[in-house]
Amino acid sequence: MKTWRDIATDGGSDVAGQVAEQANQLADRLRDVRRIVAIMSGKGGVGKSTVAVNLAAALARAGGRIGLVDGDINGPSLGRMTGVQAPISLSRMEGTVIPPETTWGVRVMSMALFLRDETAPVAWDAPSQAGGAAWRGLREAGALRELIADTEWGALDMLLVDLPPGSERLPTLADVAPRIDAAVAVTIPSAVSLEVVGRSVRMVREYLDVPLLGLVENMASHACPHCGKADPLYPPGRTEPLADALDVPVLARIPFDPALGMAADDGNAYLQEYPDRPAARAFAELADRLTLLLDAS
Amino acid sequence: MKFLCVQCDEAMRLDETRGPDRGSMTVVFGCPACGRQTAMLTNASETQVVRSLGVKIGGQAVPAEPMEGIRNGLATSSVEDAAPAAHGGASKCPFTGMVNDAFARSGMPWTEGALQRMENIPASARGMVMQGVERYAEAKGFAEVTESVLNEARSGMGMGM
Repeated sequence: MKTWRDIATDGGSDVAGQVAEQANQLADRLRDVRRIVAIMSGKGGVGKSTVAVNLAAALARAGGRIGLVDGDINGPSLGRMTGVQAPISLSRMEGTVIPPETTWGVRVMSMALFLRDETAPVAWDAPSQAGGAAWRGLREAGALRELIADTEWGALDMLLVDLPPGSERLPTLADVAPRIDAAVAVTIPSAVSLEVVGRSVRMVREYLDVPLLGLVENMASHACPHCGKADPLYPPGRTEPLADALDVPVLARIPFDPALGMAADDGNAYLQEYPDRPAARAFAELADRLTLLLDAS
Repeated sequence: MKFLCVQCDEAMRLDETRGPDRGSMTVVFGCPACGRQTAMLTNASETQVVRSLGVKIGGQAVPAEPMEGIRNGLATSSVEDAAPAAHGGASKCPFTGMVNDAFARSGMPWTEGALQRMENIPASARGMVMQGVERYAEAKGFAEVTESVLNEARSGMGMGM
């Protein structure tokens, strides 16, 4: 009796062929994207999206053609943070949709653009949500693939993918994307964050072929609003041991600035409003270092 | 997944798909040698796994629409009812409006029976499905969407309608 391997096709659906076609289409759509960089952490609440948005703004400000994908399928926030939730038309072009663009020239795609309102949950159509553990991950991976593949990015110097927390998120992106040119890990200098970020980075190192360019230390310090003196928010020197152990640099130390949160809430460009603040300068330096490292790699 | 006719030791071929109906799909395979048929019946979870892969049982006859898995897959509670926008009504929500603009319909007339069949499609996906049917009908030279056009489009596009 014949076995599975003796039979060439599945009888007509060609499911394997359809999946391969999805991958081919994604690779084709990304052919004009020079670099794909994942902004990851593993720990929630450390400011990945803040870093992603402001890094994108800094790169665009330096003349780069930048795209930004909200990789958080269930909790999309980049729509609000980049101010692209205005009533503008998402028009189509040759099997893709044209992404909205921020006032500072970054093209953005997010699940938020498909949801009814600011509090609508991402629920998938199913006869029952029970047993969703069997398929929800596939749905999320498929949605991430579509957000990247079905968007008309045009020619980009860099496509940043802002990943949600969890050590499994970069592996999921690696399953979906034909290539990831680099990853940047965001942490805050707390022992809890560093421990979780360390686990995520080791996951990348041991199981994925994705170069980690370095760490970004967010909320590194706080500038006194009266005298301007920077005080550390955590005991200093905590991030270096992790960076040393991973043999990667600390790419930037971003000081805490309440204006960052306000700009995110309003969808405004922090870098344009406050270009001379320490955090804005740190993002500009991060953009420069990232570009240099990528050019050297 | 592949099916084998044990009697003939021949790979079976896909003959027909039906559904999804309340989460279940029926996929009929036939033996090219003896004609014997067997049906694979999927439960709701199995159907969801296939849908989640973004593939079509029976094959992808026409290219997928952009963001089809998201548009087709989100529950009604997550997106505004697509019906008003599909019939030319204005969306109250700017975000949904952005997306619905991208899936504007052609204005091709539909018979009452064909429209009734659309009630089986989840509201969140109805606009996109109707647009896909209209494109199919236009490509085939039909002047309106009838139930027989729907049947033809279903087998051609792998849709459950």
